[in-house]
Amino acid sequence: MTDVAVRSGRSVRPERTPARRRPKRRVGRRLHGLVYLAPALAVYVLFAIWPAIHTVYLSFLEWDGILPAVPAGFSNYVTVFTDPTLGPALWHAIVLILFFAVIPCAFGLLMTALLQGGVRGMTAYRMIFFLPQVLPLVAVGITWRWMYSDGGLVNRGLELIGLGSVTRAWLGDYDTALVALGLIGTWAMSGLCMVLFLSGVQKVDVALYEAVALDGGGPVRKFFTVTLPALRGEVTIASVITTIAALASFDFVFVTTNGGPVNQTTVPGLLVYRLAFNEADIGTASALAVVLTLVVIVFVTAIRLITRERS
Amino acid sequence: MRTRFLRLGSVAAAVLLAAGCAETGGSGPAAPKDVSKELSSEKVTLTLAYTDDPPVKALIEAFQDKHPNITIKGQQTPFSDYVKSIKLSMASDEPPDIAEYNPGAMRSLVPGGLIYDLAPYEELYGWQDGFPSSSLEVLRSDAKAKEYGTGGLYAVPGALSVLGVFYNKQLVSAAGITQPPATLAEFEQNLAAVKGTGTTPFSLGSLQVGGFQLWNALNNSLGDEQQYRDWVYGKSGATIETDSAKQAAQKVADWAGAGYVPESANAIADTDALANFTQGKNAYFITGNWYAATIAEAMGDNAGFFLFPTAKQGNPAVASGASVAFSISSKTKHPNEAAAFLDFMRSPEAAKVQFESGFMPVDTSADLQATGVTAEVTTEFAKVVADNGIVPFPDFASPNMIDRLTSGVQGLVSKQMTPDQFLASLQESWTEHHD
Repeated sequence: MTDVAVRSGRSVRPERTPARRRPKRRVGRRLHGLVYLAPALAVYVLFAIWPAIHTVYLSFLEWDGILPAVPAGFSNYVTVFTDPTLGPALWHAIVLILFFAVIPCAFGLLMTALLQGGVRGMTAYRMIFFLPQVLPLVAVGITWRWMYSDGGLVNRGLELIGLGSVTRAWLGDYDTALVALGLIGTWAMSGLCMVLFLSGVQKVDVALYEAVALDGGGPVRKFFTVTLPALRGEVTIASVITTIAALASFDFVFVTTNGGPVNQTTVPGLLVYRLAFNEADIGTASALAVVLTLVVIVFVTAIRLITRERS
Repeated sequence: MRTRFLRLGSVAAAVLLAAGCAETGGSGPAAPKDVSKELSSEKVTLTLAYTDDPPVKALIEAFQDKHPNITIKGQQTPFSDYVKSIKLSMASDEPPDIAEYNPGAMRSLVPGGLIYDLAPYEELYGWQDGFPSSSLEVLRSDAKAKEYGTGGLYAVPGALSVLGVFYNKQLVSAAGITQPPATLAEFEQNLAAVKGTGTTPFSLGSLQVGGFQLWNALNNSLGDEQQYRDWVYGKSGATIETDSAKQAAQKVADWAGAGYVPESANAIADTDALANFTQGKNAYFITGNWYAATIAEAMGDNAGFFLFPTAKQGNPAVASGASVAFSISSKTKHPNEAAAFLDFMRSPEAAKVQFESGFMPVDTSADLQATGVTAEVTTEFAKVVADNGIVPFPDFASPNMIDRLTSGVQGLVSKQMTPDQFLASLQESWTEHHD
């Protein structure tokens, strides 16, 4: 180990010194690198960076997509913040974080703890739990709508176990629609978390578990002292991905409830879509999209602060 | 150097993109010049962007049979993508010559001067005679596209539709009902009778847009026709917060309370509502003739159709209706040939196509060999047209009205919204757009 480190240190040095002496060559090399980078960079700038910047620009315009755009100052933002539909929509998205991020991560950790030692049929488990990630939510959303419907699978199952009294059209019920919608997210995201955590856990040195065992610690102790700290990075990534999915959710809401009943399941993404495509109000739609982006950044930053390793 | 060049290139491309989607024209409505019935005898190719098929493809074929030198290239797009993209494609440098008109998506093309005001052709061809006047009325708009039903003509109907009540003859006669109701009161008695047999009377899909048709039909029946028209057309000072509209909303809530609509209505999509009806789960289904062909195929002679009954016997028939209509791009090189296609819509050849594809023909006097439920639709449709009672759908009133209607009817059905709150939310959307 030490030997390798020393050797690599040695090999770095001789390169550094001549480079400093010949700056011209270094610049040339840099340009060279940029040339290789350029095609990908151009595509990225054109299709990822530029639309984002353009959205910010559009958010300061009053524009219906056809007539000349008129500068609107901050008026679109005023509309966004005074619109009574945004508050509930944002709240729904935050509730969805519970179902998209919190529960799946907890579930993923639990499954990791249980499956960690290597269980027979591991590949099958992984595949089954990961499957929802592979299926597009748009297609699955319609299946869920049927499963949740009056005579659907969910109600049949409830009747089977003697809960016939609570059956209802879950997505059409004023009080249960959002929770029913959230559980679709839980189903979709749990597998992702589990697979991420299971792969993360493989890098843990077995000696650590042995050490805990020697100290008389059981499986719970092993999980909290070794596994959980080791998965810090994976937990962060999983939380960030799933939280973004919750806040920016649109597709499966659009195909299952379309914000109903009585706006009980509206989410900001759905409002952006309606503003842009139903109401032809590109400016306000862009402003709302910008606000949504800021909210996502706030949440992601918060997650990173919480899960950061304290030095 | 090369990188800088590439960077410059990407910036330039980005600027071009921005310019492309920035803005276009905007000099007010456009009118065609040199209008004529004389068509070119040379080969002419027109492009036509549309979403509804049937009937468009068959209409194109029938037109080409009549004018062999004119080729119409159809470009079909699914509805949800069509309403998103048609505006931009009409604003592009090479737009389609003819486009199926969608008021919500395409209204802003009027002040943008991107579709023709067809008034000169209307005069030339005498369209006021060939088309039912109510079907042209909804396609008129003022220059700012804020008030409709008056002003320039921006599209011409290529097939008509009407809202009514489909019913299951077996289920209805099982409840001892022998003929379609003549009044709303009689209809309510029928509903109670059907409910008494253990069948939920209405199939209702209030998860999606189909739900608001229940309120719409009630409002057509109870309300003042002119007042409603003024409201949909955006006439200054119009309101939907009327006693009759409130009564209609109250009826929706009452009927839901009485179990006349499925308990799970708010979770039922339009297609599921259609399936429930054709499978005999419900006795009545309020929808348009666009489903007539499907219903006839699934239910055969067991299906019937009547117009939603009026409040009092003898009141003129009123029903919401719309059309598959066509507009002409102001950038077309062949406006006269395009106008000829529009004029073709009132011809007997077109009437045949329109009817066979499940729509109502523009030429309402056309002799059609109809049988079964489609025949009933045709007879009932002729009644509304005779009474000049075709009124537009309420979602026509403002861009986000459809969302307000959908969530509002969900609220009425689930008792989460009062009729007053429902109407106030509709009026709010109206005021936002028209004032």
